[in-house]
Amino acid sequence: MKKLKVQKIIFLVILGIMTLIYIGPFLFSLSISFSGDKNVFDWPIKLLPNAPTLENYQNVWSDLPFGKWLFNSVLITTIQTISNVFFAALAGFTFARLTFPGRKIIFTLLLSSLMIPGIILLVPKFIVLNELSMINSYSGLILPGLVGVTNIFLMKQFFETIPKDLEQAALIDGCSYFRLFWQIFIPISKPALAAVAIYTFQGSWNEFLWPVIVSYTEDMYTLPLGMASLRHELLTDWPLLMAGTILISLPTLAIFIIFQRYFVQGVASSGLKG
Amino acid sequence: MRFKKPKHEQRFWAYTFLAFPLLLLSVFVFFPIAFAFVVSFYDWNLLIPDKPFVGLSNYIELFKDEVFVKAIKNTIVYTIGVVPVQTFLSLFLAFIMNQKLRGRAFFRTAFYIPAITSSVVTSIIFVWIYSKPGLLNYLLNSAGAESNIDWLTNPSTVLPAIMMLNIWTTSGYFMVSFLAGLQNITASLYEAAKIDGASQWKQFWKITVPMVRPVTYFVVVMSLIGCFQVFDQIFVMSSGGPDNASTTMSYFVYQNSFKYFRFGFGAASAVVLALMIFTVTAMQKKYFPPEAY
Amino acid sequence: MRFSSWQSSPTEERIVNASLDSFSTKHPNVVFDYQPIPGNYPEKIQLMLGTGNAPDVFWLKGDTSPAYLAFDVLQPLDSVMTTSPEFDIDDFFPVFKDAFKHKGKYYGFAKDFNSYVLFYNEDMLKAAGLTGPPSTWEELKSYSKKLTKDTDGDGKIDQYGFIVEPSIDMVLPFAFQNNAEIISKDGNVTIGSPEFVEAVEFFISLYKEGMATMPTDMGAGWNGDVFGRKQVAMAYSGAWMIPYLKESYPDINYKIAELPVGKIKSTVAFTNAYVIPKQTQHLSDAWQLVNYLAGKEGMRIWTSSKIALPTRKSVALENNFYQDPVFSIFLKSAEYAKLYQVNLQERWFDDTQAAMQAIFYKDAQVAPTFEKLAKRLERYKIN
Repeated sequence: MKKLKVQKIIFLVILGIMTLIYIGPFLFSLSISFSGDKNVFDWPIKLLPNAPTLENYQNVWSDLPFGKWLFNSVLITTIQTISNVFFAALAGFTFARLTFPGRKIIFTLLLSSLMIPGIILLVPKFIVLNELSMINSYSGLILPGLVGVTNIFLMKQFFETIPKDLEQAALIDGCSYFRLFWQIFIPISKPALAAVAIYTFQGSWNEFLWPVIVSYTEDMYTLPLGMASLRHELLTDWPLLMAGTILISLPTLAIFIIFQRYFVQGVASSGLKG
Repeated sequence: MRFKKPKHEQRFWAYTFLAFPLLLLSVFVFFPIAFAFVVSFYDWNLLIPDKPFVGLSNYIELFKDEVFVKAIKNTIVYTIGVVPVQTFLSLFLAFIMNQKLRGRAFFRTAFYIPAITSSVVTSIIFVWIYSKPGLLNYLLNSAGAESNIDWLTNPSTVLPAIMMLNIWTTSGYFMVSFLAGLQNITASLYEAAKIDGASQWKQFWKITVPMVRPVTYFVVVMSLIGCFQVFDQIFVMSSGGPDNASTTMSYFVYQNSFKYFRFGFGAASAVVLALMIFTVTAMQKKYFPPEAY
Repeated sequence: MRFSSWQSSPTEERIVNASLDSFSTKHPNVVFDYQPIPGNYPEKIQLMLGTGNAPDVFWLKGDTSPAYLAFDVLQPLDSVMTTSPEFDIDDFFPVFKDAFKHKGKYYGFAKDFNSYVLFYNEDMLKAAGLTGPPSTWEELKSYSKKLTKDTDGDGKIDQYGFIVEPSIDMVLPFAFQNNAEIISKDGNVTIGSPEFVEAVEFFISLYKEGMATMPTDMGAGWNGDVFGRKQVAMAYSGAWMIPYLKESYPDINYKIAELPVGKIKSTVAFTNAYVIPKQTQHLSDAWQLVNYLAGKEGMRIWTSSKIALPTRKSVALENNFYQDPVFSIFLKSAEYAKLYQVNLQERWFDDTQAAMQAIFYKDAQVAPTFEKLAKRLERYKIN
């Protein structure tokens, strides 16, 4: 009994330390974002800001093109998320339920593209987009991220778990494949669709490498790119920089807290079966 | 016997459904992959209309380039440093999360926040933490260690510092993968162990670790691929410096392609990186398959 | 038509807009868009040029200009120039007139210049019993030593004499004063020469011997912050520091002097140009803008802000810069300054920074590091 108690205390101490390590940096960044004092390096470093103020949050909107960057990020993320969910489901459905010549080859091709590290695409993708005159445009930022192979794969896996008897009646009644997909498969796939949506949202909200290369004017920056571009200029204004970073982080955090269980499900199905 | 629609109808719908996704993937994935090899044999500069074929000379130049050799070295050090720690830590976190625990959702969120936060954000926060008068030195000094290092401008600490950041951000993500695996382990295994008087530590090593082997395989592969391509943190925190101490291969690819504008040379270095990742994951599959023992 | 520039401070942004406004009132028929580019300017401009989207007029960083000239992407301006006799090219100071001349043609005009001068905190010098700024390398060192101290007695040095950065442009004044250059007039890379090495060794000794600090050591972004926070007594900087100090640290009592002298009198001059890309569809409008901004009136408006100095003699006279105790120092410096322009592919800069970092952070020996660097830079020669 005593041994168990000691074990429990050690366990709780470890848990406490780990928690501090994982959220501590955010707490400090939150604290700095409220600091009215630009010198954020005064020792002792305290968790409560000097001269607390909301000014930095106002300045983010007035001193930086934050509104424009937010608009870009929201636009790109929304379109990519909707498109990914729809086309991943559609393609996943096709691979799970339809037989057609080339099915195996196409699917293998998709799978093997997952093995190719993204960095190799950097130069050729840029040249392609340049030929299409899409550099520094919304189409250049959005189009390459409309369909993700991982998502197709995830949806295929999910649809294969649905018993085939389900669609029998509908097929016999002469229901088209699109209606079958739209009216029968989609409604029962909410958890999988949610997982795809959340992953795509998070991925495109945080995407950095591609915008770095494709956007070259400030009005085409996304939020992460905008903040990164200011990192050197704002080195003297940490409170403003931190206020910006806190604002960028809120949407993903909110979505995670609301949809926690889908996250776990998504990772589970992509991780275990992949 | 199940009812099936005629073949031609299935074919029609299949091609219709796949048309748009395949078109996009062809333009933005399949073609570029092949094209990368082509570009790597040319002296391709966007500013110069003349793009001569140069054969293997980009590749030859690469291996004579000290910075590239350093970038390979840094990338390998980075990967070897991060992957095992990250894998073990995320398994450990998952193990903690799998205990009976009040406020589990809170702790899970806490560990997961770094993983869902933009890499730019975490990098910026850690620039503050790692700076000379920053949080890390403050804590070290408070604990009695005389530390006066500027972590990101010191060549011997910059890479480890960024490695720590990566471990911190991604371990929560892989924790969720492990958690899913752990939940598949039947409780009776642990019950039996408890009856035998095995400590939690022993349960962890004797039951948890072997049972999640397939997940471990997945986590290691993903973590390897991620580490080999680390870019965002380098871009924001150190720009590869000081003295190229944190120039990784993907940063080298970026720098040569989009800063010095040598697309052919950049593409060649990307091809080498891709081949390295390919070899390592293939070797892993051969020597450490997911379902051994 | 589009015009782009970088933006390094709110002050700069304000005066760019002011000079563009006055252009618009003078030339209402020229319609244009101003699109500033924050962060990674050279990369972005390169991308725009490469993708056929370059602005019709843009600022070109002087240090990278030789590579652009070699790429043959800029519009030679000799013929359009003849349509505007009022442009008066001989009004430019000789060192800046030909700064963007390549193979006998003009590809751009110096919009302004800046040079490194010595900023010193008068109160600190007085407190240390020093009556004026140092005038030689030896004095720079001994003064720095005197000015480095622990003012509040907590055992930690909180005031340094001088501030350095592991950056090549900071070393260049010392190198120039030691008769050394990165690349010689006849095109040999001379960054590994004994004279260059000696200058770097002197520079780094200030830091290694503890009388100079670095911005990163103080958790600051650049010299201006450390100087403004009164953590350092002397700093080398350009005129951009003046409006910054005025805005962020109005209470600091400082003065400006010519740089201490080595074997010869010298300093670094920075100049950037207005240029027009070859791909422009609006050459005549673009020239109107360049003609105005680099002309007498545009430059007068631009430099009246005192963020940078005019490259035209007439403007310097008209703005009374010669009588100004601060700006006359810059004009005097310009008489013996050398341009920061390196005739090498852009990668020379990163490799050189890496070498600087190696000697600063890894205690690498200066001579072998720079001799090796010189060999590398040979490969980046243009033409």
